[in-house]
Amino acid sequence: MKKLILKSGLYFFLILIFLEGLVRVFHLGKDTPNRFLDEHEVEKWVPNQNGFSVTGNRRQNFSEYKINNSGYNSYREFNPTANKTELALVGDSFIEGFHQNYYNSIGKKIEQQFTDIEVYEYGYAGYDFADQLHLVHSYKEEFNHIDKVILGIKFSNDLTRSKYQVMTGRLALESPLNKLLKKSKLLVYTKSIGLLDPPQKLIYRMRSFLKSKQEPHVISEEETARIQKEKEQQYLANFESLVKLYGFDKERFTLLLDSRITPPLFLEHLETNNFDYLDFAPLFEASKKPTTLIYDRHWNNHGRSLIAKVITDHLQQNKGWK
Amino acid sequence: MLFNSIDFFIFLPIVFVSYWFLFHKKNKIQNTFLLVASYIFYGLWDWRFLFLILASTLVDFFVGQAIHNSDNQSKRKTWLWISVIFNISLLGFFKYYNFFVNSWVDFISILGYDLKSTWTLQIILPVGISFYTFQTMSYSLDIYYKRLSPTKDFIAFATFVSFFPQLVAGPIERASNLLSQITAKRVFNYVQCTEGLKLILWGLFKKVVIADSIAPIVDDIFANYHSYPASTLILGVSLFSFQVYGDFSGYSDIAIGTAKLFGIELMSNFKFPVFSRNVAEYWQRWHVSLSTWFRHYVYIPLGGSRVSKLKSVRNIIIIFLVSGFWHGANWTFIAWGALHAVLYIPVFLMGRNRIYMNNVVAENNWFPSVKEIIQIMITFSLVTFSRVFFRSESISDAFGFIKQCYTNFSYESYHHPLGYRMIDYYILLGIFVWYEFRIRRDERAPFKFKSKYVRFLVYALVILAMLLFYDDNVDRSFIYFQF
Repeated sequence: MKKLILKSGLYFFLILIFLEGLVRVFHLGKDTPNRFLDEHEVEKWVPNQNGFSVTGNRRQNFSEYKINNSGYNSYREFNPTANKTELALVGDSFIEGFHQNYYNSIGKKIEQQFTDIEVYEYGYAGYDFADQLHLVHSYKEEFNHIDKVILGIKFSNDLTRSKYQVMTGRLALESPLNKLLKKSKLLVYTKSIGLLDPPQKLIYRMRSFLKSKQEPHVISEEETARIQKEKEQQYLANFESLVKLYGFDKERFTLLLDSRITPPLFLEHLETNNFDYLDFAPLFEASKKPTTLIYDRHWNNHGRSLIAKVITDHLQQNKGWK
Repeated sequence: MLFNSIDFFIFLPIVFVSYWFLFHKKNKIQNTFLLVASYIFYGLWDWRFLFLILASTLVDFFVGQAIHNSDNQSKRKTWLWISVIFNISLLGFFKYYNFFVNSWVDFISILGYDLKSTWTLQIILPVGISFYTFQTMSYSLDIYYKRLSPTKDFIAFATFVSFFPQLVAGPIERASNLLSQITAKRVFNYVQCTEGLKLILWGLFKKVVIADSIAPIVDDIFANYHSYPASTLILGVSLFSFQVYGDFSGYSDIAIGTAKLFGIELMSNFKFPVFSRNVAEYWQRWHVSLSTWFRHYVYIPLGGSRVSKLKSVRNIIIIFLVSGFWHGANWTFIAWGALHAVLYIPVFLMGRNRIYMNNVVAENNWFPSVKEIIQIMITFSLVTFSRVFFRSESISDAFGFIKQCYTNFSYESYHHPLGYRMIDYYILLGIFVWYEFRIRRDERAPFKFKSKYVRFLVYALVILAMLLFYDDNVDRSFIYFQF
């Protein structure tokens, strides 16, 4: 028995080491750049990092990222000046684009449609509207040089806060323990494919078993509609509060949204108050090819091309950019 | 509790260590512990159905003794019928009740009467009921045929019925093999345990890498067969052949391996059926414990092949229809069984049903001959064709599937519904078939390598394959649990 336990333990340990090596050799696990909070309390990636973002098992999606001097994933450095034509895209993981090669981003696609413009992509996974406006506000000098700023907004996710606060939960990912765990590519890979979910679920199951059971509260349709309406009104109030707090240059700033998932209340508000917005829903709806990745809800290459087209058409038709 | 769940990987080491360290002194205590562990194993799925297992155990324990103690043949027969009727009634109610009601309603509607199906019930099929009822019945049958003496040890008998490694999906054991091991003193055996661990690893590979990774493709093709060309449908049903083999033989390997950890040897259930050279050989290699059960308790009592050719053919038809019906309460399984009878009868009439009983393809060669390759391919194609019925939701779906093959007889490349590269699966199956061929002489030794370094490398690659093909979105339950 002792021999069995010792030998099994030894084999287990050796196989773990061997698998760690294989996962590294075939680059199955994703690299995750380090994040930090800058002097303006803006959360971003530590500058000048590069690596590969991997989705799913067997490298279902494999793409290269490059964090520039400003702390964002982009092939170019951000140096806005008064005498150049610049466009800024501000948003969450959709703009950040870790699921695409950094040299094939939406910004790059837009640049290819014009003779001489620079597109700066201020994308960071998890950025909501408060993060975005706080960023623009904190780097006012730089953004004042940028001719056009497009801010991605998803009503149901991005307006849950009325003012910016540091997201401590996200920064907790930079704890020493998490950094140590990230060093094992085998662990990163197994976590990313969901192999570590069952033990976590087991812990939740045991916790809920020990807790007293509560009867599920059934909500009527009317109640659901009322809650939804209240939520929409709250989000709208948050939008107004954020705009008031950090400023919103209606001449230069445009929102990028999907009208299919945006309530009419918000669209009406934007129109009534002269907020410029771009709606990519018609192009996405008309597309015969899929616009998102199969295993992920982020835009695929075709989806990104359509977004670039929406922005390009807007700049050419309404702003006269060439 | 599933063998491929985290619960089992916590449960098994606890039971294993307790079994050999805490409860090893007396056989009776060890068996009691195994019985409790088995009931926990089953009860974690649904404790209410433990009463069914207990009822089946009690009935056959006492029936066995009554048969043995009775000198009167008609009384013996009556006792046997009590066991058979009780177990078949359990199966009949939980598994077939709704099927019979719906079939009756359909039949009446053919005659022009509109009978609303108001008698159907919301019945949960207790996992493993088809397996443990057959196992307990075999005990009474063996005593009736005087092949076995009944045990007086109720704990041992209850452990035999509910032994957790094989409780929910077999192998269906006979008391002469399993009960005798349970009543005997077991001693820890290092070699047996390592063999068990290797079988568990190989079984997990077959389940996770082969069966589960293919499942989304098969599900997609069968769910949308009307929109795919013949090439895709052939791909789908061929992959299903591998899926069901990986799933069930993987389960059996884990069951046999787990039993070995407790010092118990279960019978082999799969002997590389993919390399069968005719349909008769296929049935000597596929789900062996069920085939053996039907041969012993249905086919031979009916006269087997020692009666006239016509009666033998009748017996073959009966055994395949019953076997099909055992799999599930659906006409598709009966059609599947009937189709196998049709495929088996010519082999039987030509006297070729036993010629491959004691040898394996390319027994003493590195490669099979061209003739053998052709035989294997024909057998695989026929068996795979029958799987259209096995996998389809209804008879009309099965015929729709077949019809689509010839009405849309064209080729189109198939894309994985979750976006994976299909080439990965073709390479995987190629390697799997090659490896299975390499180990074809001994289904209980999947990692037989002289060099320990090579063996280590193969272990690591097998685990790597599991990491590469693990899919969190796949339903990980075993196909045969529904039977």
